[in-house]
Amino acid sequence: MNAEKPIRLLLGPQRPVVNLDSALARSGIGDGPIGVISAAWQEAEGDIDGMQRLVKNPLSDLLLYQKAEALFAADTRLHEAYRRRQEHLKEQQRLYRLRLRQLKIAARATLRAEGEPAVLAAERRHAISQLRALDKHHLRQVDKIHARFDNDFNVDCNTALAEHTSAFAEALSRFDSLLITGGNVVVLINRLRLFGLGPQLQRKNIVAWSAGAMVLADRIVLFHERMPQGRRDAEIMCRGMAIVPDTVLLPNASGRLRLRDSLRIGLFDRRFSPATCVALDNGSYLLFEGETLRDSGAAKRMTRNGKFKRVRAA
Amino acid sequence: MNPELRKLVRKAAPDGADIDALLRDLDFPLVDGTDVTFVFRGKADAVYLRCWVAGLDTAQPFQALANTDLWATTIELPKGSRIEYKFEVVTNGNKELILDPLNDIVARDPFGANSVCQAAGYERPEWTLHDPQARDGSLQSRKIESSVFRESREIEVYLPATFRKNRRYPLLVVHDGVDYLRYAELKIVLDNLTHRLEMHPVIVALIQSPDRLKEYSGDNRHARFLVEDLLPFMSDAFPLMDSADSRCIMGASFGGVASLHAAWRYPEHFGSLLLQSGSFAFSDIGRHQRGPVFDPVVRFMNEFREHPGRPADRIFMSCGMYESLIYENRSLVPHLQSKGVDLRFEEARDAHNWENWRDRLRVGLSWILPGPAWMVYE
Repeated sequence: MNAEKPIRLLLGPQRPVVNLDSALARSGIGDGPIGVISAAWQEAEGDIDGMQRLVKNPLSDLLLYQKAEALFAADTRLHEAYRRRQEHLKEQQRLYRLRLRQLKIAARATLRAEGEPAVLAAERRHAISQLRALDKHHLRQVDKIHARFDNDFNVDCNTALAEHTSAFAEALSRFDSLLITGGNVVVLINRLRLFGLGPQLQRKNIVAWSAGAMVLADRIVLFHERMPQGRRDAEIMCRGMAIVPDTVLLPNASGRLRLRDSLRIGLFDRRFSPATCVALDNGSYLLFEGETLRDSGAAKRMTRNGKFKRVRAA
Repeated sequence: MNPELRKLVRKAAPDGADIDALLRDLDFPLVDGTDVTFVFRGKADAVYLRCWVAGLDTAQPFQALANTDLWATTIELPKGSRIEYKFEVVTNGNKELILDPLNDIVARDPFGANSVCQAAGYERPEWTLHDPQARDGSLQSRKIESSVFRESREIEVYLPATFRKNRRYPLLVVHDGVDYLRYAELKIVLDNLTHRLEMHPVIVALIQSPDRLKEYSGDNRHARFLVEDLLPFMSDAFPLMDSADSRCIMGASFGGVASLHAAWRYPEHFGSLLLQSGSFAFSDIGRHQRGPVFDPVVRFMNEFREHPGRPADRIFMSCGMYESLIYENRSLVPHLQSKGVDLRFEEARDAHNWENWRDRLRVGLSWILPGPAWMVYE
């Protein structure tokens, strides 16, 4: 492994078509053992036999989810504080959503409006900047909630957490490469944060799909416009691991977004700019060496005018 | 009238082969925009369309088409409508209710079956059909010894495909549960919505009353049965979450009344309700006109309207626009909202039937028991 420029292989959902095996074989990661983080599967964590049949690298699950559950069961004070933090985050997200809805309505109406081009352009810019300001504010508030928890519960003051964290550090040191599965992105990022795995992930080759890929970006954006209750605006949830910077990763975008609604897609792109919003559908992949995109397949990026273009390596 | 049919009728003397060809080539009833033409072929003294749509005549007469053995009638049906109907064929003074022989689409219910007219824009939701990708939940029969009714009652229990003994689940109690399974595809819907992560995996108690018109009409014994017999039984037998907000009761028609009544009598036990075409008859003055079976319902609803309290925190209600109960259901919405209930109400261009209730389940169940689809990226 080139420690300066580790490989990051990001994939779309692995259903109905699996491309983990073919993309991994092309990635240059080699056939050494790979540590698996399948915490996003929650109770099904560790059920990796099917995956093992696909790839020749020996796989070993780190069991983050199970170990976090065991930690919570053993340390009720930590668990209670964690639960309280989650309640605060939920409340913060609710209020953000409330404000976001109004700003999105205003931004869409401004983008649809007709009139004097110079006046319109200024108003559109401002409408989008208000959205971006709200996103920024929300992220700051989320950071504060996390910081309070991290200040009260860290490896210096919690023995059980320190033991688990050091066990994970030890386990991680046995692998040059990690594989992070899709699943529940909230559960996944929370477990990665709890055990402070960010810095170690920075140095590893990583293969990740869907939720696993999302946590590697600098911001985790939740999105789903085909919910039974109707469209829901994309929301920033929290910071990611910032391993793949300036990118918003959108697994199964064709299933979750209304891709033909160019006004919404254009607004999506401008809201998160300068980050590139990338649709990672089934069968797609992005291959980075360090921060440089080396190869891609079927991945598409949003454009300012609401269309999609193929992502091409430099 | 449908243009093909008009062309046929205008022929001087259409022969049997012309008619056979027309009937073979077209889908019946004939849908042309908002006009829907029903066609019957055969000897009769009179033919009527019976469709139980509030706002339309109960029996719409057919016209005999000159020089043919065809009968036809056209009604206007707004886009997205779905109605159930039968033909009443009168021969030698005998009336016979039959399914539309030219239409294969049929809906079944506890009383038999009806033909189904799907107007322009209506499509059966794909999530009501078996999805081979969705894993099957399981059904098991259980017997409850009821201290309230002093007899044993059989219930069905649905467990989600992902069921694990070491997890806790919300509880959904379904009135007329076996009918929901048979006529509203409830198991398929639960399997599909759970698979799509649109609803939380849930344990469902499907109850069926031997005397529903009495027990579901605002009967205190039934409310006690739910709280004193069913809930303890379910809590002992299955890993359930232990709070009111993780318990929901649902039902349609009189089952809606039973759900509202139980939650009203025991508001601390149920956090949410899913009420479909509830038979919420009431009277502001004088006697109601719905017949004696509604007497206890009206007594309860009048008392409820007087002292509603707050039966649940979240309520999903749905009702067909073509049922007479739409008035009562619409009336209930602001009443409940004024008590701080988080309420969602959905109207559909359909009537009082199981497929209407089936088609509303996705929005209702995902509203009451939201799943993690928003956070899961597989």
